[in-house]
Amino acid sequence: MAIASGKALLKRLLTRSTPSGKTPGRRSSGKSPRRSFAKKILLAGLLFAVLLASGYILHLDFVIRERFEGRRFALPARVYARPLELYPGLKLTAAELVKELQLLGYRENPSPREPGSYRWRESRVTLMTRAFVFGDGMQPPVALQADFAGGRVERLQPLGGSEDLALLRLDPALIGGIYPGNNEDRVLVRLSEVPQRVVDALIAVEDVRFHSHRGVDPRGIARALVMTLSGRSLQGGSTLTQQLVKNFFLSSERTLRRKLNEMIMALLLEVHYSKEEILETYLNEVYFGQDGNRAIHGFGLASAHFFDKPLMQVDLSEAALLVGMLKGPSYYSPRRHPERALGRRNLVLAAMAEAGVITDQQQLATRILPLGVVQRPPRGTSPYPAFLNLVHRQLRENYRDQDLRSEGLQIFTTLDPWVQQAAEQALVRRLEQLERNRGLPADSLQGAVLVSDARNGEVQAVVGGRNPRYEGFNRALDARRPVGSLIKPAIFLAALQPPHRYTLASLLDDSPLLLQQPGTEDWQPQNYDKEFHGSVPLYRALAQSYNVSTARLGLELGIAQVQENLRRLGVEPERPGYAASLLGTDAYSVLEMAQLYQTLAGGFRIPPRAIREVLTFDGRPLQRYPLAVEQVIDAPTSYLLTTALQRVVTEGTGRSLSRYLPEGLGAAGKTGTTDALRDSWFAGFTGSRVAVVWLGRDDNQPAGLTGAEGALTVWGQLMAALEQEPLLPVVPEGIENVWIEVSSGRRSAAACPDVIKLPFVVGTAPAEMAPCAAPREKGAVRRWFERIF
Amino acid sequence: MRKLLIRTLLVVLAGLFTGCAVRPPVAPPPKVPEVEAEPVGPAAAPLLHTARQLASAGDLEPAGAQLERALRIEPRNPLLWQELARIRLGQRLYRQAEGLAARSNSLAAGQPQLRRENWRIIGRARNALGDHQGAREAFDRAGQEQP
Repeated sequence: MAIASGKALLKRLLTRSTPSGKTPGRRSSGKSPRRSFAKKILLAGLLFAVLLASGYILHLDFVIRERFEGRRFALPARVYARPLELYPGLKLTAAELVKELQLLGYRENPSPREPGSYRWRESRVTLMTRAFVFGDGMQPPVALQADFAGGRVERLQPLGGSEDLALLRLDPALIGGIYPGNNEDRVLVRLSEVPQRVVDALIAVEDVRFHSHRGVDPRGIARALVMTLSGRSLQGGSTLTQQLVKNFFLSSERTLRRKLNEMIMALLLEVHYSKEEILETYLNEVYFGQDGNRAIHGFGLASAHFFDKPLMQVDLSEAALLVGMLKGPSYYSPRRHPERALGRRNLVLAAMAEAGVITDQQQLATRILPLGVVQRPPRGTSPYPAFLNLVHRQLRENYRDQDLRSEGLQIFTTLDPWVQQAAEQALVRRLEQLERNRGLPADSLQGAVLVSDARNGEVQAVVGGRNPRYEGFNRALDARRPVGSLIKPAIFLAALQPPHRYTLASLLDDSPLLLQQPGTEDWQPQNYDKEFHGSVPLYRALAQSYNVSTARLGLELGIAQVQENLRRLGVEPERPGYAASLLGTDAYSVLEMAQLYQTLAGGFRIPPRAIREVLTFDGRPLQRYPLAVEQVIDAPTSYLLTTALQRVVTEGTGRSLSRYLPEGLGAAGKTGTTDALRDSWFAGFTGSRVAVVWLGRDDNQPAGLTGAEGALTVWGQLMAALEQEPLLPVVPEGIENVWIEVSSGRRSAAACPDVIKLPFVVGTAPAEMAPCAAPREKGAVRRWFERIF
Repeated sequence: MRKLLIRTLLVVLAGLFTGCAVRPPVAPPPKVPEVEAEPVGPAAAPLLHTARQLASAGDLEPAGAQLERALRIEPRNPLLWQELARIRLGQRLYRQAEGLAARSNSLAAGQPQLRRENWRIIGRARNALGDHQGAREAFDRAGQEQP
């Protein structure tokens, strides 16, 4: 009987609901009316025993079938990074492409003719991609050469093809899995995908009569019995079916009772299922050892884990090695005990030759081959636990945890491995430097980073702490800390938005403020420099992060209005709002601040997304996480606010970013510092990326860093390490630029002193002229002027 | 020729006379040249093409996926945002359609044809959402875009 295709098999197994096999056990019947009492007792006893035995067998039958059906498809979800898209003009060097290929496990090969191999010669990379099933279908392997010039992809030529490629998508890097509760990992294989040499080796070594016995092999048992009686061991005699049963119950207990149960269950399994089904399940079930806390199960994953290739491609030597390991996965581990593993492999080869499935010549030729095991196993547990944590969280909104851990879903995420790497390095290095330079105890500081794409909200990196590989507390998502001045843009938004009660040039009052309200403590906000600054233009109050004038502005606009704005920007403020919350006493997570600044970067609310789509285990699209945008700030107001946030960087608390970033980049952002320097924040954006950084201590003791001294430096280093698009907001309709005298807020002119050019919503710029700019005979001159032109 | 000379002379003179006050209070906004830029680059073009084929066959969901992929390559291309808005309109995801068309508008300065079409999409989405007043405003804006 040929094995059914994967889907059909799954369907068959899933729809099988009632036992169709024969029920073991028989009914006995008595007849004679005149029997002695003793005989009746005996009969009744016998009947009872048979009933009991039947019941027990029925019970075993139920247990084993349930286990068989249930275990077959417990596949962890696989999580992938974004696939790299290659096209002429893309900013990418040959070295960067090679780095990506290495991440994907491509092998260097002087003549790359196999999928997953490449060759790099100066500005040319020749490669053959792997086949991959994306949400929009199967992408076959492509062989091509990529030429680079001036830091960009210049040309993509398919080998043997005529026309250049306009676009090529590489396969995505596997970045982790969502495992069943017991951390079992496996790559499911169909029997039809398993090379015959693997099956041959397995049967030759473990169960020569697999195809002829009915689950239990009497000859094997006889041998085992002799061995047991002669007092040697209980080992041996198990058929593959019995071993499978044993694996299901994960017990290595060696008692006669367990052995008996095992035999009955093996017989039952063979009644219900075909040899092919049993063999396929065996191949997927067997245990190949540990990788950290992840258990490697099945030949499919073992092949990837030890040889970094699909099972279909393993050769005779590798097949023999895998089969040989089954006897003792850790004792015969080819990584830890290569000699033992080699000896065991050769024993398997000998058994195969003896069984006649390979020739003696093949055996001799293969014995001398090395093990061929890759030193570094491909990543199983994720190197990016904080990002995976976000993925898992977003998935749980739509899926049951149980399904995530068992249905073999394929999750396509937005992670950019190189952005992630830059974020990790910036955080880890800066924390070490800061501790060293400031004489802080080593490892006392902590931090978190989140980077997203400014244009579509895709989360590119999440760092949850200074040990990014550690799967522990995720500070980017779960730590909520007071955000200080990071909240201020919500106040300035309230001031600038229609009906445009304020402009960037409006003068704010930065003189001492005392708020007295019945039932609350008096509130007297201070500036960071402990001084008051008199009248300050609005844009400067934000740029210099003046607390007093900002608090006064917020109180005048109303806390409710500010909170309403926070909601529009995408975060839920604490209720009720107190005056102090205007200066950021409310606590938020890095993720929430990323949402807020994502909205500020353009005026559209775009939820941070870590997932693009989810496919089923066999590549059918299951769910997409579409790009969603909603305009929440009108274009002119957004333009004004962005200009003010750029001023923070050019002249305000963020100006030390110039140490890291070129001025032409036009980065916008805001520092945040909290009470007694406990939290150091920086959030901001360029034309292409939004990033939020928090630094502080887990025990909430003062970290001794302002936003500019701490988080800003991480932000600067991170953004400098990445390709950035400059922030050049399109000037929307209804905006005009006007020269303003800073000290008075009056209209002025370029040639006058103390001036700045600021954007205004048309009709809101001040009318009153500064003396320097006031036209003496303005009306006459203009009219005369206009007549001429 | 003579006229030009006089004008130049006058400008210089006027500048000398009035100092820094010569700058008119509101500088007229610079005229944006009316060039409809190359709609999409060569990398995104095949994706847009596939998206249109899928959409015309009624496969709106995968068409949207193609456009999102194209937008990752050209995130500031207003045409791609508009096409995605139209797909969402077809999927009756009206809020999405409105948001995406607005996004396209925010990137389409100096492209009146695109902007007019965006306002129409916004108008239709608002109508479908029952916001008839808003829809009328959007259609008015569409009418004001000078091709």
